[in-house]
Amino acid sequence: MTFRHERLPNGLEIVAEVTDDALSTSVGFFVKTGARDETDATWGVSHFLEHMVFKGTTELSADEINRRFDWMGASANAFTSEEDTVYHAAVLPAQQHEATALLAAMMRPALRAEDFATEKLVILEEIRMYDDQPPFGADERCRAAFFAEHPLGRSVLGTVESIESLPVEAMREYHVRRYAPGNIVLAATGAVDFTALVETARRYCGEWEALPPSARDTWRAGRGPTGDVRETIVRPAATLAYGVRMSAGPAGDDPERFAAKLLATVLGDDSGSRLYWALVDPGTAEQASCHHQDFRDAGLFATQLACEAGDAPALLDEVTGIYAEAARSGITAAELEQARNKLAGRVVLVGERPRRRLFSVGLEWARSGRYRSVADDLAIVEGLSLDDLHRVMDSWPLHGPAATVLAGPSAIPETSGAGDPQGAGGAEPV
Amino acid sequence: MKQQLFSTTLANGIVLLGESLPALESAAVAFHLPAGAVHDGAGRCGLATLSGEMMLRGAGDRSSREVIESLEGAGVQWAHSVSTSHASFAGAMVARQLVAALPIYADIIRRPRLPEDELDPARQMVLRNLAGTEDDPAHRAMSALRQLHYPAPWGMPAEGISAEVAALGIDEVRDYVARRVIPRGTIIAVAGRIDWPLVVERMAELFGDWATAADAPPASGPRGSRIRHVHHDSQQTHIALGWSAPPYAADASYEASAALAILGGGSSSRLFTEVRERRGLCYSVSAGYHTLRDHAMAVCYSGASTARAQETLDVMLAEIRRLPGTLESAELERVKARAKSALVMQQESSAARAGDIARRWYHLRAMRSLAEELDRYDRLSVDSIEAWLADHPPAGLTVVSLGREPLEVPDDIQA
Repeated sequence: MTFRHERLPNGLEIVAEVTDDALSTSVGFFVKTGARDETDATWGVSHFLEHMVFKGTTELSADEINRRFDWMGASANAFTSEEDTVYHAAVLPAQQHEATALLAAMMRPALRAEDFATEKLVILEEIRMYDDQPPFGADERCRAAFFAEHPLGRSVLGTVESIESLPVEAMREYHVRRYAPGNIVLAATGAVDFTALVETARRYCGEWEALPPSARDTWRAGRGPTGDVRETIVRPAATLAYGVRMSAGPAGDDPERFAAKLLATVLGDDSGSRLYWALVDPGTAEQASCHHQDFRDAGLFATQLACEAGDAPALLDEVTGIYAEAARSGITAAELEQARNKLAGRVVLVGERPRRRLFSVGLEWARSGRYRSVADDLAIVEGLSLDDLHRVMDSWPLHGPAATVLAGPSAIPETSGAGDPQGAGGAEPV
Repeated sequence: MKQQLFSTTLANGIVLLGESLPALESAAVAFHLPAGAVHDGAGRCGLATLSGEMMLRGAGDRSSREVIESLEGAGVQWAHSVSTSHASFAGAMVARQLVAALPIYADIIRRPRLPEDELDPARQMVLRNLAGTEDDPAHRAMSALRQLHYPAPWGMPAEGISAEVAALGIDEVRDYVARRVIPRGTIIAVAGRIDWPLVVERMAELFGDWATAADAPPASGPRGSRIRHVHHDSQQTHIALGWSAPPYAADASYEASAALAILGGGSSSRLFTEVRERRGLCYSVSAGYHTLRDHAMAVCYSGASTARAQETLDVMLAEIRRLPGTLESAELERVKARAKSALVMQQESSAARAGDIARRWYHLRAMRSLAEELDRYDRLSVDSIEAWLADHPPAGLTVVSLGREPLEVPDDIQA
């Protein structure tokens, strides 16, 4: 595996992790823009634009784009998050140029008003689809409560109202500003011909006009709620209740983030964790899990719970009790070893699939301008100690102040917060 | 690329399959036991799922907790599922851990403790999962479609029925495991960075002396009604519809699959183009092929707002009716390209390959190489698919809608 990097004069960055004997090639355009770069007036534009990119350019119709991807046997798609918009295709190596050239052309979409009107209907359907599904908006409401007024609290899809009122002109303006070449990374993994990749990029992206970098917000001012915030969503059709709890954790530029992920594995992995043995194995909860999520300059521990509605308040208290007990008594060496082996196994399995590696390589470069190989990741996992986990629990107590949202079939009774109000709240940023 | 495929049958009937993928760092193993939900029995829907869950709760010298901890301690990404046909236990791991993982699986399969004090927790877990599926409208619509379309017990929900799971006892679980977790009908597949002779040797040590028992197939019962609306208070109405197709073991299944891929298999497919791209009716719409051993189904799915669901169904039906006689070679070439590319990329995942070789063996009683598979795709033509469609036009549709309002289903497509 070798790493390659190149930068075009207009600022577009090209990175590749080359595995000569791989059977496939994955390419992706990673645009450093997402929900946190929106305003109230453009709420949902990043994701809506991601859809519109597939609606064609001045030379290519939407049908032609779809046909060309299928013709080359590509597994192509896109996604939008709070910080990134990613367009990707996995193809056989012979199709590297075709796939890259098509994705590159799509980055300059026509954004036709009639396509905008039709696709708006699809976005509204997507919002309704997710709203009908567990956790019935609890995750988005919880993130909004956690980040309060900050744009990281915006839901990626937007709302029915924000999408209905969004004009096409606002999307065109957003596109010019946010899809400037200096704001985009072209990444590739697998059997990559890097020289040819750079050549394709020069030909199809070299003429894109360089713009001065557009500023992004920062989140350094705070780190989550200073006291417990609780909200309830009532969905009469729901069978179970769904709880989401978010407390502060290390940010994406904090070296402690790796220990935070290992800690979340010990405490709340989908199986074999403390939450699993306490709540899932006995059949008390349908789901009880915890993971660490990081953004450029913010991070959080997200706990997800699904259970009978009447049990929800008590089980949320039990979860915070498990976190408090872990902080008090510590993690055992056996737990550390099991979690390390689990994560190492995952790193290896993801590492051998170029289409999965693409996201690790591309997102990391878009965020930090750094590259970490599979071996680097394994070394990080192997190097984590009990001290690292205990330090994270001291700095970022999971039982501390949190935003909690419960969605369920009926009004769910409030409980007394189990967290320690003196915990992480109001502490200085790292 | 020369594929390295292996197969052997142990004296007790266990079929052992392997594929060596030396470029990978990982190995994957999958045990498929003939203990799927089709053997639940009347009034005991969910017995296979409960029994599968119980098998993980203590095995050999290991307690329930030690089973999971020993797998995860070896870095095994484990999975367990019960389908219509099989109870499956699988794991993917760094290749050197395979030798350590196999005895754990041997304990789960041959020496489950099935302790009475674990029955209630296991039952609660199954019941909670069932309650969770109640909140997944797309899953409910598809499950109802299978239940109506396939003859009982082939369409019964593997996850169970709450009232029936609630009544199951430990004796039924123990009896089920004794009857159904047997060598004959068991398929074990291993793929990745493996040493095949060593795998065979270890499997023979672990499973060779497992005494066999007779495998009795279930009798097929009646089918359900063709049209059903399920009331659900949701913003979208979910539409699942299907009609009979040849099972995978029939050679014509390739023609059927290709026709369905043209209908709704990719982003340039007819359903995606007409329902989503042209009209903006929905976010999800697709057509595909679902197969059991002796029955198979063409399946279409979409979910659209209540007010637009009828138009969504109407456009879907129009595209289904339009299919025979209108296939274009460019459409077929795209379907072939997607299928071939997916087949090659599957070689990058040991878990995907272990699953695939086992699935094919179950249907074909043979291994099929990538070259044979690619060759079969090459032999697909517009003429061969049209000929098949002419003999088997979409008819006798089963239609399920789930949402606030029932939909109007025209009479002609039910015939």
